Amino acid sequence: MTGASISIRRRLTRMLLLSSSVVLGVTSLAFCTYEFLTFRQSSVQQLEILSHAIASNSTAALAFDNAEDASGVLAAFSADPHIVAAALYDARGNLFATYPKTLDAALVPEHAGDSGYRFTRSALLGFQPVAAGTERLGTLYVRSDLGAMYARIRLYALIVTLMIAVSLPLAYLISRRLQHQLLKPILALGDTARAVSERSDYGVRAKRSGTDEIDLFTDTFNQMLTQIQGSERKLRDQLSRLSLLQHITRAIGERQDLPSIFQVVLGSLEANLPIDFGCFLLYDAEQSSLTVSGLRLASGTHAKELDLSERSMVPIDQNGLSRCIAGMLVYEPDVREVPFPFPQRLAAAGFCSLVFAPLIVENQVFGVLVVARIREQAFSSGECEFVKQLSEHVALASHQARLYGALQKAYDDLRLSQHTVMQQERLRALGQMASGIAHDINNAISPISLYTESLLERETNLSERARGYLVTIQRAIDDVARTVSRMREFYREREAQLTLERVELNRAIRQVVELTRPRWNDLPQQRGAMVDLRMELAESLPEIMGAEHEIRDALTNLIFNAVDAMPTGGTITVRTRELALTEGRSRSLVEVTDTGVGMDEDTRRRCLEPFYTTKGERGTGLGLAMVYGMIQRHSAELQIESEVGAGTTVRLDFPTHASSVIYPSQMTRPVVSTRRLRILLVDDDPVLIKSLHDTLQEDGHLVSEAQGGQAGIEAFAAAHQGAERFDVVITDLGMPHIDGRKVSTSIKEIAPTTPVILLTGWGRRMIDENETPPGVDRVLSKPPRLTELRAALAELLP
Amino acid sequence: MDSFAKTRRRILGRALAFCLCGVFCSIALTRAAAGAESASEYQVKAVFLLNFTRFVQWPPEAFATPNEPFVIGILGNDPFGPRLDEVIRNERIGEHPLVVHRFRTPEELGDCQMLFIALSDGPTIARVIAGLHHRSVLTVSEADAAAEHGAMIQLATESGHIRLRINVDAAHTAGLVISSKLLHLAEIVGTRPGD
Repeated sequence: MTGASISIRRRLTRMLLLSSSVVLGVTSLAFCTYEFLTFRQSSVQQLEILSHAIASNSTAALAFDNAEDASGVLAAFSADPHIVAAALYDARGNLFATYPKTLDAALVPEHAGDSGYRFTRSALLGFQPVAAGTERLGTLYVRSDLGAMYARIRLYALIVTLMIAVSLPLAYLISRRLQHQLLKPILALGDTARAVSERSDYGVRAKRSGTDEIDLFTDTFNQMLTQIQGSERKLRDQLSRLSLLQHITRAIGERQDLPSIFQVVLGSLEANLPIDFGCFLLYDAEQSSLTVSGLRLASGTHAKELDLSERSMVPIDQNGLSRCIAGMLVYEPDVREVPFPFPQRLAAAGFCSLVFAPLIVENQVFGVLVVARIREQAFSSGECEFVKQLSEHVALASHQARLYGALQKAYDDLRLSQHTVMQQERLRALGQMASGIAHDINNAISPISLYTESLLERETNLSERARGYLVTIQRAIDDVARTVSRMREFYREREAQLTLERVELNRAIRQVVELTRPRWNDLPQQRGAMVDLRMELAESLPEIMGAEHEIRDALTNLIFNAVDAMPTGGTITVRTRELALTEGRSRSLVEVTDTGVGMDEDTRRRCLEPFYTTKGERGTGLGLAMVYGMIQRHSAELQIESEVGAGTTVRLDFPTHASSVIYPSQMTRPVVSTRRLRILLVDDDPVLIKSLHDTLQEDGHLVSEAQGGQAGIEAFAAAHQGAERFDVVITDLGMPHIDGRKVSTSIKEIAPTTPVILLTGWGRRMIDENETPPGVDRVLSKPPRLTELRAALAELLP
Repeated sequence: MDSFAKTRRRILGRALAFCLCGVFCSIALTRAAAGAESASEYQVKAVFLLNFTRFVQWPPEAFATPNEPFVIGILGNDPFGPRLDEVIRNERIGEHPLVVHRFRTPEELGDCQMLFIALSDGPTIARVIAGLHHRSVLTVSEADAAAEHGAMIQLATESGHIRLRINVDAAHTAGLVISSKLLHLAEIVGTRPGD
């Protein structure tokens, strides 16, 4: 810059000096030329005047032929030292007199020439006529050297030199001063430009100097600076917003749930954009409503007037919000002029400018980002654009979070199903084992049952004590059979699909209470705690339609929970009642109430979630979830009332089957067949065959036995060939190689009219489910009751 | 100076020179026709007479009318012969044409503006002049001491040169103004007392 200024300064000086020199030179030249020309002219005129005077004075001398006097007159030329020669010629043109008297002849022509003056190289000479009146008397010749002119020229040269010598330094000084005036603003401008370029400070401004052109220049420069400053500020804003956008995007990318994404976005906006108010509204297209989710208020604003909180509903205005829901970015520079409820609420809270940005995923608006500032007109177009872009990012992140949530839920469901499947598998294995055990037990106790029944019936001469023992044995056998039956029912394999059956709730409850007795009675007792279980069951409770085993499982879980809630003991009350509704419909309520520790609000809200447990390692977190699943499958309702320290009540509310009637308890009457029958017994268990053989034979029947299915079919076929055919076949179901189903089919092939009674360890289940195999006329469960067997025979063979 | 003016001046100059040449030639021819020595003397004197008219100013009352002829009178025996007539031919003094009147005796003397007194006797000359009664007549004479006797101009011959002697008082008295240039050439004398 210094170099440049010096250069400018030098150039200006040079220009000024050069132009002054040129002007001076031209002026001097013109002046000199003018002077030279005028001097020549004036020289001629002077010489002419002088000559005229001399000529006039010499008239008399010429007229009266006085050469002496003529010479005297010519001597007057001595006054002018430059006149080197003069001469007078008479009227005839002959030389009459000369000046000076002694004269170089070359300087004077011999005869007079034409009148007039002319310059030669070295002299100005001329002829002047001498006349008196009109009479020409002679001619005067004058010759003047040019010394005067040369002297004049020398003088001019001197003057010009002096003038230049004086004026150039003067011009230099003036130019320096003027330059200073001129350069000062330019240098100041240069300093400003340097300050701008070195410090990138676009806020500095060049000062006006008071000179029009420079001011114009300065103004233009300042205007340019203003523009650059504006652009730079815009660029910086853009950059900062971009970095904010990146920051927010990164932050929300790390989060997978909407509330935390919203909080992060609003927090960043509040801190960095900044905004005074921000919230997210989630849009429910079905209900056409907006719900506040995520709210940020700058401190010192009027939160009370705003009257907004999480989950509060916001009506959709005609103007701003509805346009935003339609997918447009809405900017209200001054909400005080917007006559709609939501902007008015914001205006009442002191916010003047606001922006609604839609959150759009896959062309669907699912929410609105609202940002507001206290000032009016506070959002620049750049900020609006930023909010728009941000809303797109947020929408994307929210979408991802939703997808992630759905994925998580699917994963959880999968894990739950896996768990359930595993549990079912375990239960299935247990069920199979239990079935096997039940079958064996049934087989094993069948002779006991048969013989006891037979003895009590036939042996009339038994002592009272023996009879008493037998009755006890019979009751015990019944208990065993019932226990086995219940056990098998409980562990029985679940159907893939829920098949609804009539369920008598009171019976199911009794069963569950009995089955869970070890848990609520024995285990607490071992710990020294006393749990009292009370059943308050309504009489004549209507049946419901449902899956009994699921209901039992649910009740079991509820009782377990109740026990767990009372580590120091207490009372469990299981209550059923009917809730009558209109139009003959009613609901059946089952309540399980404990006096345990209860649940707080959070636990109560979350207790139905899968894997939510308060039992630590002991709990799976699936108990109530399964209950809830059952409730949902039964179109029932679940209510949980709880208070910390005051116990919990879980209420199951089942819809009652419309046509349900009170379950009549089936009474069996002893029927004894009057006919003597030929009976074929087929079983692989010799003890059972023997006991059946004995008891049936005692009834008067003719009993044959076959050990195993194959033997039975052969025996029947053989007898069928002969005269003594079997009236009825009683076959066991589970036999190696050929089981009861095949036996019955074969027999029906041989003799379609011969009844087949199937005995089975799974018999009750078959009866319950009406699952009679082809060819079987009656299914009886083990242990066979003699009365049931007689009734079946009497019914099949009247 | 533009070339046209120059050219005009040159033409005028040439015309003038031509005219002068013509004049000089005619003068030279007339003079050549006269007698050799005396002819030259009176030739010059005739020219002198003419030249006096150029260096002397007459008062306006000297002429009755503006175009009245300017009369050169010759009193006595005319020494010029025809030379004077030739010299003055075609010459004019202002508007006045020049004529020569010759007077034999002082008694014959008539009106004239210049009078060449061709007399040699001084008192006679003085008488003649007195007889003019201070009229505006330039009196010229070649007589010795004529100036002292009242002649305004005396033509004196000294060593072949004609010298002028002028009586300024006489001229002044007659109301004539003699040019200083002429006076410069002449010897100034006064009227001798007692004449």
